[in-house]
Amino acid sequence: MRRNRREVERRTSFYLFLAPWILGFLLFQVLPIGWGFWTSLTNRMAFSTNLKFIGLANYVKLLQDPEILYSFRTTFVYALLHTCLAIVTGLIGALLLEREVPGRGVFRTILYFPYMIPIIAVGWIFRIFLDRDTGFFNVVLLKLHLIPSAVAWLAEYPLGSIVSLAIWQSGWSLIIFLGGLSTIPNELYEVSTIDGANYFRRFRHIALPLLSPFIFFQFVSSMIYAMQTFIQSFILNPRPLRGEMLFVSPPPRETFFVMARGFFEVTGKNRFAYGLSLLWMLFVVVMLITIIFIRLGGFLVYTEVEEKR
Amino acid sequence: MAIVQSKRKTLATVFKITILILLVLIFFLPLVSMVVTSLKTREELFAVPPIVFPRVAQWANYVSAWTMVRFGKFLLNSVILSVFYTLPCIMSSCFAGYAFSRFRVRESRGVFLVVLATMMVPYMVTVVPLYLLITKIGLTDKRWLWLLFGMQGAPFLIFLFRQYFSTIPLSFEESARLDGANRFQVFFFIMFPLVQTGVIIAGIFAFQWSWADFLQPTLFLTGEKVPLAVKLARGYVDQKESLLYNVGMAGLLYYTLPIIVLFFTLQRRFISGLLAGGLKG
Repeated sequence: MRRNRREVERRTSFYLFLAPWILGFLLFQVLPIGWGFWTSLTNRMAFSTNLKFIGLANYVKLLQDPEILYSFRTTFVYALLHTCLAIVTGLIGALLLEREVPGRGVFRTILYFPYMIPIIAVGWIFRIFLDRDTGFFNVVLLKLHLIPSAVAWLAEYPLGSIVSLAIWQSGWSLIIFLGGLSTIPNELYEVSTIDGANYFRRFRHIALPLLSPFIFFQFVSSMIYAMQTFIQSFILNPRPLRGEMLFVSPPPRETFFVMARGFFEVTGKNRFAYGLSLLWMLFVVVMLITIIFIRLGGFLVYTEVEEKR
Repeated sequence: MAIVQSKRKTLATVFKITILILLVLIFFLPLVSMVVTSLKTREELFAVPPIVFPRVAQWANYVSAWTMVRFGKFLLNSVILSVFYTLPCIMSSCFAGYAFSRFRVRESRGVFLVVLATMMVPYMVTVVPLYLLITKIGLTDKRWLWLLFGMQGAPFLIFLFRQYFSTIPLSFEESARLDGANRFQVFFFIMFPLVQTGVIIAGIFAFQWSWADFLQPTLFLTGEKVPLAVKLARGYVDQKESLLYNVGMAGLLYYTLPIIVLFFTLQRRFISGLLAGGLKG
């Protein structure tokens, strides 16, 4: 009896502390997701009068549209490039800053810093940085005689331009990997050095396995994040844009990611139901990708404890 | 032998520093481009052959950036929205993190998995229908919505707080409980002050998210109430609607400045706090 009362008290406190989150979760997650799914099964437009239930017709239409399928493909390719390159950059940075290096804190801060800059600003910085005529990137490359003449990076390499922006903002993986490296006991390195292991063997057989859970975590969360890229597509649109047109004119095919399309369908074309079904499809794809990677992760990640079969 | 070893060590350090400096230089290029562009005249921007630095620094661009769009007003909008979001977000995440680290109820693990699962939901899947719903019931242009948006906390911050709380020994609370304090007194007077670093980190993150957020304000707010993120996303244009890159860069520098200041004043505690509490365990 007494035990029971304590149990009830504990549970009540648990839910009291969790109450704001639960309320927010119901209001801003469950409700819109559910309603959004229901709406995606209708023909709702901005000013439609006769709302009809049309089942999965929107989804069928999406799956038959080669542009949409292409969009999913480029989004996935972009997310993969974004994730892998950001991880490699972060890993190199973390390995360089791992041991006592003079000015460690300063380097760490500078490499992390771009991550803090708001995406709108980053978009515009890169739009101007990579511009053919006014861009600093061309000027530097020309001065170093690395390219013969100015290149219109945004128009010729739209996907690469957005990826470069992602690399610049890879500070987050740097921090994660620095955290991961700091969990590796020093003795392991010392022992291996005495045994005659060189730097690369130490990396391959000590740092990499012990870091693998962090790399895996970073891989999955970065994939989820990168699959949702949208504003970069519009700001780095290579067409000569004028103010108000920025979110009205579609970006080139290679960088018209699924999110950008969804945003465009809903706000630009007022096709609510169609846009929502596109977003819902992305939701399902992200979920599937996450589950697949988590499954695969079990094989790739090193763990101390041997798993029971 | 020892000399060879130390010589090799110095060599390795020199090598590392060289690569680091190279990396930092590359990372600095876009920022240099930003500052340089903001100080050029229009003619210098499109000069053939291109020029690297302006002949005379055009500080007037910084004045135009402020006056052309009534910058102060939109800056205030941004501050209001960010504060509205950040405060409840910290509190709610802190509450939830505490709940998950301390109350051993059977379903705790399951609920925590739900929190983590919400990270998988693309944010447009929730925000766009929410926008349609909210405009349907006529709640357009309401800034207090951000207080509610903050209330659901953020999965990452909940996780962070859970980590922080689980590093605090249980005995702290037990002795207070024996002295007759209730759960909430224990939380506010004993536990909350002990996670100050977590609160600072959560505050920086939440502030930076809402400061940078474009989607929600562009959907929920119009005209005079939009924050800088929405106002500046379209760039600065002159009467002929052509983009002014130089003034635009000056404006974006203003917009980024609060984040830079916030980051550099708190960065030591921020990064080391992240490394110490957030990621391990």
